[in-house]
Amino acid sequence: MSDTVISVSPLPPPVAATGRVPGNAGIWVGIFCVLVEFLLLFGVYFVAKAHHREAFLAGPDKLATVAGVTITFLLLTSGYCMVKAVETIRADRRRATLGWVLGAIVLGLGYPLVKFFEIRWNVAHGIDGEAGIFYTTYYYLTLNHLVHVSWGLLGLFWVAARTALGMYSPRDYSGLEAAAVYWHTTDVIWLVIFPFFYVLR
Amino acid sequence: MGHAERIWLLLIGLTAAGAWLAETGHSSWGLSLVVAGLIGVKGHLVIDHYMEMRTASPRFRRLLHAFVVLVPVLVLLSHGFSDVLQRLTSLG
Repeated sequence: MSDTVISVSPLPPPVAATGRVPGNAGIWVGIFCVLVEFLLLFGVYFVAKAHHREAFLAGPDKLATVAGVTITFLLLTSGYCMVKAVETIRADRRRATLGWVLGAIVLGLGYPLVKFFEIRWNVAHGIDGEAGIFYTTYYYLTLNHLVHVSWGLLGLFWVAARTALGMYSPRDYSGLEAAAVYWHTTDVIWLVIFPFFYVLR
Repeated sequence: MGHAERIWLLLIGLTAAGAWLAETGHSSWGLSLVVAGLIGVKGHLVIDHYMEMRTASPRFRRLLHAFVVLVPVLVLLSHGFSDVLQRLTSLG
């Protein structure tokens, strides 16, 4: 009888923690502030939902799910590009790093573009800020998230310029990594906002 | 296929499952449970594999994971105890 165990998990085995903090101290102050801020905003969502069950039950049906899904795909794929950017700078492949950061920017810019068309579609269908409590909460949280993504995009532009100027190396890439972890934080928050408005009833 | 690609595919697959639910789901404990699970699993994947927190400071990792555990718990509480939350947050 064989003792061989076949693993079907796509994940690698656990790796021992090193105590390392990716990026730099400043970005983590920002990240935890953003997480606390959005926890409070989620509190607004839960309270509004508790007081207006019917509005939150019917609300998602009128939104364009395809817009929410497209934004999720764009953010996750842009995040993947930043994972590769960090990977390639560690391997001292600086041209590849620049390519991945630019890829992350192009995909990230797709978010405000999709949002623009989504809001235009919403308004054409009578879904504006006065369409009811569900849509007021939806605009409040999603536009707030868009503001944070815009900051992340500005960070990515800065990092792209520094990468192009050869200012990162395998020994010093904390700025690049800081932009990447902030960018991934906006992913984590969107992964909550998406089901709140497009899926949950 | 590398590790980052596998994680990306998994996240995309889970998002597609969420999209399917968005089109077919009705308010129920089942939907809230699945959504809570999706938030938890996807958040865990991004934190540990995109942000590389599985090899980072355990304190930072715990704080980030607390976020994607707390929110799904709130989703379930909001589904099951909506009337309690309404009472607690009413004026007068």
